[in-house]
Amino acid sequence: MHIQKNIQEQARQHLAEATKEFDKCMKCGKCRNVCPVFKELGNEIFSARGKNKLAEKLVAGDIEITARVKQAINECLNCKTCAANCPAGVKPEEVVLRMRWYITTKEGLHWFKALLFRQLLWRKWPITLGAKMVGLAQRSFFGIGPNNPVRHLFPLFGFSKRRFFPEMALKTGQSLYPEVIPAKGKKKMRVGYFTGCAGNLIYTNVVTSVVEILTACGYEVVIPKKQRCNGTPVLANGDYEGARRLMQFNYDLFQSYDLDAIVVACSSCGLALKKEIKQFVEGSPELEAFTGKVYDIHEFIENNITFEEGDLGKLPYKVSYHDPCHLVRGQGVREQPRNILKRIPGVEFHEMKDAAVCCGSAGSYCITHYDTAIKIDNHKVKNIQDAHVDYVATGCPTCIMHIQDNLKQHESPEKMRYVVEMLADSLRAGGKIK
Amino acid sequence: MNTSQIQELQNIFGKEEVLTEPEDLLVYGYDASPVEITPEVVVFAKTTEHVSELLKFAYREEIPVTPRGQGSGLSGGSIPHKSGIVLSMDKMNKILHIDPENRLITVEAGLTTSEIDPAIAKFNLFYPPDPGSVSFSSIGGNVAENAGGLRGLKYGVTKNYVKEMKVVLPQGNIVTIGSKCVKHVAGFNMESVFVGAEGLLGVVTEITLALMPIPAHRESALAIFTTLRDAAQCVSDIIAAGVTPSTLEFIDNKAINAIQDFKDCGLPRDAEAVLIIECDGEEHSAKAEMAKVEKMTEKNKVRKFKIAQSAGERDNLFEGRRVCLNALASVRPNLILEDATVLRSQLPEIVAGVSQLAEKYKLDIGLFGHAGDGNMHPTFLYDAKDADETARVHEAVKELFQLAIDLGGTISGEHGIGLEKKPFLADQIGNEGIALLQAVKKTLDPKNLLNPGKMFDMPQDTVQAA
Repeated sequence: MHIQKNIQEQARQHLAEATKEFDKCMKCGKCRNVCPVFKELGNEIFSARGKNKLAEKLVAGDIEITARVKQAINECLNCKTCAANCPAGVKPEEVVLRMRWYITTKEGLHWFKALLFRQLLWRKWPITLGAKMVGLAQRSFFGIGPNNPVRHLFPLFGFSKRRFFPEMALKTGQSLYPEVIPAKGKKKMRVGYFTGCAGNLIYTNVVTSVVEILTACGYEVVIPKKQRCNGTPVLANGDYEGARRLMQFNYDLFQSYDLDAIVVACSSCGLALKKEIKQFVEGSPELEAFTGKVYDIHEFIENNITFEEGDLGKLPYKVSYHDPCHLVRGQGVREQPRNILKRIPGVEFHEMKDAAVCCGSAGSYCITHYDTAIKIDNHKVKNIQDAHVDYVATGCPTCIMHIQDNLKQHESPEKMRYVVEMLADSLRAGGKIK
Repeated sequence: MNTSQIQELQNIFGKEEVLTEPEDLLVYGYDASPVEITPEVVVFAKTTEHVSELLKFAYREEIPVTPRGQGSGLSGGSIPHKSGIVLSMDKMNKILHIDPENRLITVEAGLTTSEIDPAIAKFNLFYPPDPGSVSFSSIGGNVAENAGGLRGLKYGVTKNYVKEMKVVLPQGNIVTIGSKCVKHVAGFNMESVFVGAEGLLGVVTEITLALMPIPAHRESALAIFTTLRDAAQCVSDIIAAGVTPSTLEFIDNKAINAIQDFKDCGLPRDAEAVLIIECDGEEHSAKAEMAKVEKMTEKNKVRKFKIAQSAGERDNLFEGRRVCLNALASVRPNLILEDATVLRSQLPEIVAGVSQLAEKYKLDIGLFGHAGDGNMHPTFLYDAKDADETARVHEAVKELFQLAIDLGGTISGEHGIGLEKKPFLADQIGNEGIALLQAVKKTLDPKNLLNPGKMFDMPQDTVQAA
């Protein structure tokens, strides 16, 4: 009880510190039209300016945590578009996250979230086992088409009946390789790889691609087998304590290996390890050194690897690129993935309209707010269709999942892929990856 | 308001479009001005008829109504000063008709102004007024405030482009004023009364705007000066030389350094002031104009005059101006952005005046703005938590207004009077001027229910007047 009180007080102070953010707000309203959620819902309360105002009033004690306040605070993608456009440098998403923590400490974490974040994600094996079982189920109902009666079960798990899911892997990405995978030829560096849950459990092809690209180019790759969730979904749902525990765990784990660099092929995991971790792990020169050697995979490839004539084989595709929020605004990674794609022989690159606008997936947002998430994504699908491409490459699993789902619902033929998957394909075609 | 009144509003607008939850009301009680007043109810209109029915209802029940666009106004025009109903025009945001032959576009009032240009680009047309808030303000709000922008000097301001409007008068009658014809003299020139009326005389729901052909060529340059006076005198000389640049922007040393701290836009930190100049039109005429501009800069001891050689260079130049306010905002916790405007020949005087104010009141004042049309933006940087500094800012602002008036200028070039400058309006237009405004207001809105308390007070500031 005492500890709970203590955490409540911490959360309250944490939120009160955010007054620094809304004190800067000039209330000009520039954050309204750029907000994907506001554009669909059209009510000021869902704009960043509105949420700032609610936070201000909550801190001042003028309003209580009501259902409407919670609804407003949960209508945020953490896409950081408001922050990127704010003339006064306010970070509204920071205010939103702090509000969520404050609300969670006051009202307790929903039992299901508590179970998921504090038991299942923490212990890891139940999630892995669960994913494999789902994978088996998916394969036995082979290809859950639009009219499959299994869809009626989806709402039981909080998913929309309309939704198309990717197949869960039967063999996890992390189990495909030994912990240390030697470099081909002369070793240039020893690189740690944080796979993220999606790479491990769903899109294992990204793990294969990253490992094969790096080892082929002379990097020893280390995949610490004990790595757990980076804490992003936990943080987004207002469970700071859960996030702290996971971030500290991964930090200690990766620090125990002697690594020259750490690469991440998931936009949100990268953001967590580079930046968000700083508010959870005690600040120190070691932490600075740690975050300083975390690289998004595209960044790492562009900084370090020069491909030689003939390394890259031809891929005869029209390709566009979608900017994940946590890469473009979260980490400032914009050109690197495009450059990689443009370098692949045969690839015809077409920039789509509004490539950096959020697709609406936002982790668990597209589960809890599916209808709005799809409305937001409809703009993305339209822009993809207008780009007339075969593939849309990106660097975020939830973007892939969400956009692919909606492309299928539109019966649109374009396929979502990781940039590194395409690069690995090209290196295979060129014979660099054997 | 009582439940039967709310019920009636729900009947007019539909249940979804009427907000009464306290949290929702909170966020419709502010705009970009410092004032905040919570309304009793918020409604979203989707048609002109909705607005008409609302105003009839409000007149019958004697409830104040405050129209609201996107709430980006700097003078408090959308603050529900007497509480009551906030009428949001956000959901009337359609483009109704594009008429390239007559270079016209008809839009609903809630449309974001920056959405006009992409819709007409294929006809090689553009809508010239571009207030700083062009991407986060509505055209209806621009009309209500008679918004200006960077191109005011050559292309004029909102009022120069409003051809025809559908307006709901305070008691609910729907009228169409103006005409789509280039010339028309049928009746009073009512457009001029309603543009800039700040929503006191009626609610504009549809607007037909004039458009211009996109100029074939743009020639842009940066001129760097060692003294403020030279830069300001140069602006006056350019105008006197018969050149009309499409943009003629001024940025002083404090603002230059704020910009460079914020984002490297290649501006010289040691310059006292720079001018960003653009001439547009046919290529030869734009170049010829720029040559005349260059002569005037030389006459005023320009340190360096640099013509942008590529679109990239030009964009970088304008980026500096565009982020100027953002950059200044990050210098101190708070700021007040003013828009006092003078005759262009008086520019050196107002620039000197602002420097003196900074010295006298020991304040940080960044100075930038649309020098070419005499509309400067002295930006007072301060910390609202420092009571003494805040008081000095308010004194300095007051003195700035008086200076503008003394120089034959105006207290507001483009932000409007609203609540912010209401106390100062009589200083400029006198009591007779106020009486005229009151008389016009009373004719159309005898109960003083539409956006009451803005711009000026009514003699008996009460709804019982009728």
